Amino acid sequence: MATVIEARDVHKSFGKNEVLKGLNLSVEEGEVVVMIGPSGSGKSTFLRSLNKLEDISSGEITIDGQNVNQPKVNIDKIREKVGMVFQHFNLFPHLTVMENMILAPVQLGKMTKSEATANAKQLLERVGLADKADVKPDTLSGGQKQRVAIARALAMNPEIMLFDEPTSALDPEMVGDVLSVMKELAEEGMTMIVVTHEMGFAKQVADRVVFFADGYIREAGTPTEIFNNPQDPRTRDFLDKVLNV
Amino acid sequence: MRKWLISLMALVGLAVGIIVSVPAAHAATPNYTITTDTTFPPFEFQTDGGKYRGIDMDMLKEISKRENFTYTLKPMSFNAGVQAVQAGQVDGIVAGMSITDERKSTFDFGTPYYKSGIVMAVSPKSDIKGLSDLKGKTVAAKTGSAGADYAREISKKYGFKVTFFNDSNTMYNDVAIGNTVAAFEDQPVMAYAIKQGTNLKIVTKPAKGNWYGFGVKKAANAELLKKFNAGYDKIVKDGTYDKIVKRYLGDGGYNYKKNAADQTADKTTIWDLVKENQSALLNGLVKTLELTMVGIILAAIWGIFLGILGVMPSKLARGLSTTIIYIFRGLPMLVLAFFIYIGIPNLTGQKIPAFTAGVITLILNEGAYIGAFVSGGFKSVAPGQLEAARSLGLPYGKAMRKVVMPQGVRLIIPSFINQFIITLKDTSILSAIGIIELTQTGTLIIARNLQGFRVWLMIAVLYLIVITLLTWLSNWVEKRIK
Repeated sequence: MATVIEARDVHKSFGKNEVLKGLNLSVEEGEVVVMIGPSGSGKSTFLRSLNKLEDISSGEITIDGQNVNQPKVNIDKIREKVGMVFQHFNLFPHLTVMENMILAPVQLGKMTKSEATANAKQLLERVGLADKADVKPDTLSGGQKQRVAIARALAMNPEIMLFDEPTSALDPEMVGDVLSVMKELAEEGMTMIVVTHEMGFAKQVADRVVFFADGYIREAGTPTEIFNNPQDPRTRDFLDKVLNV
Repeated sequence: MRKWLISLMALVGLAVGIIVSVPAAHAATPNYTITTDTTFPPFEFQTDGGKYRGIDMDMLKEISKRENFTYTLKPMSFNAGVQAVQAGQVDGIVAGMSITDERKSTFDFGTPYYKSGIVMAVSPKSDIKGLSDLKGKTVAAKTGSAGADYAREISKKYGFKVTFFNDSNTMYNDVAIGNTVAAFEDQPVMAYAIKQGTNLKIVTKPAKGNWYGFGVKKAANAELLKKFNAGYDKIVKDGTYDKIVKRYLGDGGYNYKKNAADQTADKTTIWDLVKENQSALLNGLVKTLELTMVGIILAAIWGIFLGILGVMPSKLARGLSTTIIYIFRGLPMLVLAFFIYIGIPNLTGQKIPAFTAGVITLILNEGAYIGAFVSGGFKSVAPGQLEAARSLGLPYGKAMRKVVMPQGVRLIIPSFINQFIITLKDTSILSAIGIIELTQTGTLIIARNLQGFRVWLMIAVLYLIVITLLTWLSNWVEKRIK
């Protein structure tokens, strides 16, 4: 299988505070990587660096062989292939659900308006919200918003999906709907990188679990390796706290 | 949405058209722009018909007939008039202007036509009998006048302070109600005003005997000066000049104050006052609305441009926007107006019509405020919105236009309505550069009929009516956009 994401010795500082301290990670096509770790460990910052929402201080990130930080590389073209889902959904409140979904494909000339609309209808059906096409986002529940946000990212037919704590802002009873959409996506073979605190999802869906702490990747392995036989004391400590409440 | 975009563009076109079409058509006989004081009886004052009369006015009219030229009269405060000549905004000034050595360095004067001197006038009840009683007191003088120079000159010696006014009526009133203890004024003007019923008395002999002269900018308008002198010679020789002077200063001459009193005696209701001044008020109102509409539309375009500049990723663009906003928000509008109307032509020698100068002032001043709240509005859209749009692959410009700006616009509409109303009110400041809008119309009417309370009440009500209508209109537009 081909490597689609490659990060080498990635450093990132906010002022004097170094939050990524030399990270290496490569992700294969179709792989589902789940990143866990305590808050402030750098996992969200790292995820956001992958599509250049954050600029890194040094190191190299390539997507499909293209270095995202090189000035002559058109980052917009790369972002078209990399969908992103945010903790706070970030739906466009002035547009309807349908308009949210077709904005990028139509504006970027990927599809005609009618193609984009047909495509969006299918996606909405898939996330169980076919009846919500014409409403404004503020009438939706949190779980519905997040499912629309996932569908919106999928509307660009991305090769890779990034999820930045997609369920952290949801009421507990909404989490299941969103996770099952993500699970389905994983089963279809989408390359996914997910930052989450949902250990159940990590165990069930991940091909690989990566544990972050203090700006380092401490440990990476299959779910079984990480959850049943953690090697690093920080990993053991973290899992102890989140699993035995 | 489309429709109102088209009407907006039509409005902009109209605005630009008005500005561009200001320069007047070329005429065969030379036409000069000449300034005079708004009120300086018996030399210049507005009659009940709104026409300018007085010794200076009648003299100028006769001379223009004899010498075959036409002129456009631009009354403004004496001080602004002096500066307008220096800036080349007007060709000449006839305003009972004393010929002084200091002025000779920047003006060329025509043949001296009237001998005057400066006197001090006090309230009839005052116990001030001469200059030596002024110690520690405050006196009044007219900005830029010979009386003001004289008062300043002797203020140290006699230990008093000087307050300056822009027109004679306000100055007389200030002394009459006791804010200041005495006024320094040219003798014929003061004597005439008292004869006409101004409640003051003269307590000194004329000092600093001086001559009045017609002034043009030094070495800049020899032709007009030549014509003036030639015409003046003719009207002195054929006796017309003496007739003119007699018309105002002789017994049974045109009684300016009595005229005003008569006018108010039998026209007692405010409604009569409105009817009497209907056309003047209407013209003033139209000018105010013109200034407001043209000003706010162009200021909005400029302001939105500044606002967008203020949220661009480029540091240079943001710095530029911040600097422009800082400068023009920091400058008082009056200073800006004088700088554009008088300062810039002074430097470049290129005339700027008052209306255009006024509109530019509004664009720069109101535009800076609009720029500040527009970029503020865009900045207050949650950063996640831009991130989400960019993460979908939308380039920066598209993301701003399609996602951030539509949300920002909704936030800034109330500020826009507010700015619209502020602009309307701010146009009153432009009366200072001689634009006869609503406020200046009020000043001119009062200079004629001395009905301060009623006229300002009328003007205030007119402003309130227009602002109410504008608020309704704005609310309607706001609803349609939402």
